[in-house]
Amino acid sequence: MKKIHISLRKPQAGELKANRKVIAVCVVLAAMLFICFLDDFTPSGRVIPNYFKYVIVVSLIYSVASLGINFYSGYQGDTSLGHAVFFGTGAYVTAYLTTQFSGINFWASILIGMAFSAVLSLPVAWAGSRVKGSFMVVITYGYCEIFRYLAINSNTLGGTAGMAGIPSPKIFGVRITKIPWLPSNKDGFILILMAIVGFLALFTYRIVNSRVGYALAAVREDEIAAYAMGVNVKAYKRLAIITSAVITSVAGSFYAGFTNVADPSLFGATLSITIFTMLVIGGRRSISGAILGAFIVVICPELLRYVQDLIGLPFDPWYILYGLMLVIIMRFKPEGLLGTKES
Amino acid sequence: MAVFLQQVVNGLAQGGIYALIAIGWTTVFGIVGVMNWTHGEVYMLGAYVGFFLTTYSGMGMVPALLLSMGAGAIIAVLIDQFGYVPLRKRGTLARSGFITALGLSTFLRYSANAAFSADPRVYPALMEYHPITLFSIGGTAVTINSLHLIILIGTFIIMVVLQLFFTRTIIGKAMLAGSQDMKTLALMGADSEKLIKITFAISGALGAAAGFFMGMLYTIYPTMGALAGLKGWACAILGGIGSISGSLVGGVLIGIAEALTSGFVSTGYKDAISFVIMILVLLIKPTGLMGYKFEEKV
Repeated sequence: MKKIHISLRKPQAGELKANRKVIAVCVVLAAMLFICFLDDFTPSGRVIPNYFKYVIVVSLIYSVASLGINFYSGYQGDTSLGHAVFFGTGAYVTAYLTTQFSGINFWASILIGMAFSAVLSLPVAWAGSRVKGSFMVVITYGYCEIFRYLAINSNTLGGTAGMAGIPSPKIFGVRITKIPWLPSNKDGFILILMAIVGFLALFTYRIVNSRVGYALAAVREDEIAAYAMGVNVKAYKRLAIITSAVITSVAGSFYAGFTNVADPSLFGATLSITIFTMLVIGGRRSISGAILGAFIVVICPELLRYVQDLIGLPFDPWYILYGLMLVIIMRFKPEGLLGTKES
Repeated sequence: MAVFLQQVVNGLAQGGIYALIAIGWTTVFGIVGVMNWTHGEVYMLGAYVGFFLTTYSGMGMVPALLLSMGAGAIIAVLIDQFGYVPLRKRGTLARSGFITALGLSTFLRYSANAAFSADPRVYPALMEYHPITLFSIGGTAVTINSLHLIILIGTFIIMVVLQLFFTRTIIGKAMLAGSQDMKTLALMGADSEKLIKITFAISGALGAAAGFFMGMLYTIYPTMGALAGLKGWACAILGGIGSISGSLVGGVLIGIAEALTSGFVSTGYKDAISFVIMILVLLIKPTGLMGYKFEEKV
């Protein structure tokens, strides 16, 4: 009797939502694999243009960065316009190590870049314990711009031109761009980055629904109350920024490995703002939102460039629409496209 | 010594321009509590208005300056009307104000890029350009060029008028009061919407004036607002948020610091020095040189 009751009970709202999420993830996964392998089964050459795959790889790289900033600007709740520091650090460490010391492989350089980024995030954590709100915004902005000027003026880092000729990563001795059973040179990146994004999504989900996540939520909502409840506010804030920095650094390393160049704009505030707005558009504190935001911000300008060529516009319409998009989202859905409403 | 003083003098005019931008930031920040990221764009648009007035209608310096200040005021009020008023009505300004500002600034910057093209423009010569010897040390003359001198005088006049406005008129006093406690001021019967509009108008006029002066010195281009806006913040923070004289001091100090950096360290680091100063001030003495202690609003 009891058993029948259970099996017939109405699914709860939360369960339905969870089911829908699982289905959505499966659909996205299937679509990605379809894109990767379709060309293997078509007898007459390429169906999916390589350029399309390029856009997907870049979107996935920025998804990693966006999931990274989510820990700081999402779960910890401070605006950061300085995450390009960590993105650039990852890219430059990979660039420097793989070109100057040819022995060091790409994967090791990711780890070293992560360590550098973690160290560079400590001043931000320290500043965050002294300064708040708008002032933290300008501090992070200034922080990454300072690094951009350092990179521009440094000869060892290649100055304005940056560092070129970064080798593509190897996996089991095979270049990731030349894996024999994959139809194009981008598919290896797509598969690996999908695995990383998936892992990070799971990681974020687990962290957020753990003691640490609850503590971060408490700190975000009311620092003083959290402190009074015995939460070590400083330690959790430091943890959030370090996690955030380390993940963003991985994105930077992959960017360098994929595009084979690292230039000072990777430290720039413009990139910081882009990473931050990806999260804001998708939804702060939303895993799927962070990924969606990255895809929107990467794919839209490419589509618009196509439109621009088609109708012969003399200027790039993307940034104009991008600004408008931010204003409109903030007015009508300030929590972001997939974000949850705050009370 | 003479070289050092020459660099200091070179930095003065630039510093005055930064100070004008800084005051625009701090007044709006004080009253509305939002980092008005569009301020750099008002500065850029002011520079363009000045350019069109002086180039195509052959206006003189003073009327063109005043007109572009008026245009800047109107632009800033429009920004408030379309950007911030809807958020204020919904009560979400504190949370989404900054990102709205970021979006508006991107929108304005690249619309200007589309409308005016990305090519840099040059103002026509508005006045004679010649060096004036101030004094000489050990046979080396320290000079200021006439353009810098006029800009410094113009900045100074604007500052004096502004100071008089804040201390002698009831609206100015209300603005000072508002920057300390807007809520209480509204309870006292002040029309806060009107006050905010006036604040934006003043901020816009100052931004446009800064843009105009900048145009007299260097070329103007649609993305010029991004860096200058942030340097304005740096000056406001160095001088102390909410203090007009502080902004002037901060602006001049940062202008000089830039000139000294490009003269003695490297031109490559000229733009970075203001960020370094800003971060150090925020970490060591967040109230700046002349600021008062205030509650964080955002």
